[in-house]
Amino acid sequence: MRALVVVGLAACGAPASYLGAETPSACTSSDPERCASALAERDLIAGELDAYDDASLRSYVQSISDRLARTSRLARPPHVVISNHDGTYAPFGNAIVIGRVTIEKLGSEAELAAVIAHEMAHIEGHHATVSLFGPNADKQWLATRRDAEGIADERAIALLELSGYSPSAMPRALQAELDADDDEHPPRADRIARVAALASNRSGFEGREELLHQVDHMVVGRDTRLGIAVGKAWVIANLGLAIELPYEDDARSRGDGLVLRHGDAELTAYAIGAPWARELASQLERRETSEGPLGRVTVGIARERTRRASEPLERLEDAVRATLPQPVPGESVVIIERCLETVDSNQCGGLVIELDDRDGAYPKKRWLGMLRDATPRELRLAQPARIVLATATRGGRIERLAAACPNPAVALTLDDPARQVAPGEPFKCTDR
Amino acid sequence: MQRLIVSAIVIIGCRPAEVSYPALARDCSPTRIGKVTVLGAPVADVAPLAVLEGTFDDQERTARVTEVATELLQVRGYPRAHIDVKRHEACGIELAVNVDRGPRFRITQLGFQTDDRFPEDERVAAVADALGTVNAVGGAYVEDRMDRALTALTRRYHESGWIDAKIGRPVTTYDENRGSVAVVVPIEPGPRYRIGAIHAHGGGVASRSIAINALGIRGGDWYDASQVKTGIDRARRRLDRRIELRIDVAPDHKTIDIEARLGEIQ
Repeated sequence: MRALVVVGLAACGAPASYLGAETPSACTSSDPERCASALAERDLIAGELDAYDDASLRSYVQSISDRLARTSRLARPPHVVISNHDGTYAPFGNAIVIGRVTIEKLGSEAELAAVIAHEMAHIEGHHATVSLFGPNADKQWLATRRDAEGIADERAIALLELSGYSPSAMPRALQAELDADDDEHPPRADRIARVAALASNRSGFEGREELLHQVDHMVVGRDTRLGIAVGKAWVIANLGLAIELPYEDDARSRGDGLVLRHGDAELTAYAIGAPWARELASQLERRETSEGPLGRVTVGIARERTRRASEPLERLEDAVRATLPQPVPGESVVIIERCLETVDSNQCGGLVIELDDRDGAYPKKRWLGMLRDATPRELRLAQPARIVLATATRGGRIERLAAACPNPAVALTLDDPARQVAPGEPFKCTDR
Repeated sequence: MQRLIVSAIVIIGCRPAEVSYPALARDCSPTRIGKVTVLGAPVADVAPLAVLEGTFDDQERTARVTEVATELLQVRGYPRAHIDVKRHEACGIELAVNVDRGPRFRITQLGFQTDDRFPEDERVAAVADALGTVNAVGGAYVEDRMDRALTALTRRYHESGWIDAKIGRPVTTYDENRGSVAVVVPIEPGPRYRIGAIHAHGGGVASRSIAINALGIRGGDWYDASQVKTGIDRARRRLDRRIELRIDVAPDHKTIDIEARLGEIQ
């Protein structure tokens, strides 16, 4: 988790720009927490290509956050950002990052409110601050973290009650979102049991249809536009690029990226935000830049980031930058900066290709020769699956109704399989 | 102006309509904390306690959170902060949180009493905590964090050749009127040791020669543990052998002899 905290940071010494954008005014107006929130949001958009671009969905989630915030002790509602991956967190300041993949698993607005309320409780309790300023990173620190998680679960119930949402949505939300246990959280079963006891089956506003209406056509699972194998090419649809995969190489995906192995040599490719690509390219050693049909291509060697920040905000900036995807120092790197202009978008970004190749298995010519524009067919095949709402023709549980979806296995991950749906009510399927 | 109004209307128009649904009736269960009242400080100062409103009444957890909230005040510059929490039954359990922050202090001076040549900026960076807001000039002084940082700094001294270095307890001078604290850390560095003889044992003559070259250190250099470690790693990679490192301290000569023992080919 990006547990970065800025409470008490002096605003002086704030950097003039951050990832290609003017530093937010909060960074120069003694509001360091808001400044840090703005930097975090900039990271998702400009650093990682990780903001899910759906204004209507964001506005809906923000409205839930606003409603909950009115009953909280917060002076201002947290700013909500929807990321294109899984996981939800309140990193610092007054912001909540909620993963699109988190939203897709939920069955009602109250369950989404429960997830947001949990994060809001972390903000109310300054828990991110406690993680940094609190006890040392030892057993006591872990106990403090576990306390904070338990408190956030329980406080979320109170926020749901005060906002009129159904408190019993909280155990359902935890059931949907939690996977394996870890040291920083109380055991999953304990968490669910405690919030179920607090909620004591009391009901309020549920808002199932409201949520379902909002997630209709939302991308499901991994956003394959960031990279997917299509035939014998790796296609990054968001950049309109393709990398030919040589038959003799071992090609695998790692997250949204590609890993190609040839003997001991390893080539890694991943998409990043345009400003971050520009910054990384400008820092390569022995760099050569050329403009070509693929965009601006910079070749060089990744160097160690050696800046020693003296001001707190610069230190924060450095710490945040360190979490962004970036090449290993000393490795050969190609960075392609490119904007893809289509009818409905003008997406700019960068592709980083790192090469760990001591034996010269991947001569520069060879790997540059593997790059080309993606074909229209490849771009079409790289599109991600999306949610489509189906209507139950007869009553039944999701586990039975999902059998009629194009991909029943995926449909089962989008809701509680045991949920009862009445005839004529909607439920989530996918478009393929 | 007109454009502003139009955009405001557009923005408002884009927001989903607010549905009105009432708050649920309060749950006054005796197992729950119904209310948290804070006296003596803004609620935000004891946020970890304030957020207990609505949670289970777990007295042990409340005690732990009180400690955390107190430490949070300390790192914000209130070294004498004290928090007292009282419980009473009402609608559920109500907590009355009484906060005595005490005076606030900022570090105006932080120095190290020594004449050694350990880099000053590294010393300062070693004790600074929490992005420079604790144990740094302008920040709060937190004693237990300083103690931990000085333990780590002592290790850094030892690894840089001052193997007898001792760091004493910091001397703090509080100015109650100005809200400032001056911190002086006494350091007894002792002599700095140099690399003495460098030997390699085992393997063939050629391997031993490669190992010594790969170490990249010379007799007479200042001892630097990280440099020695990097050199041994390099030698292991170059020879593809297990190599054990042995160091012998010669206090009379203020030198450290390095011995690389070449083992099996891996």
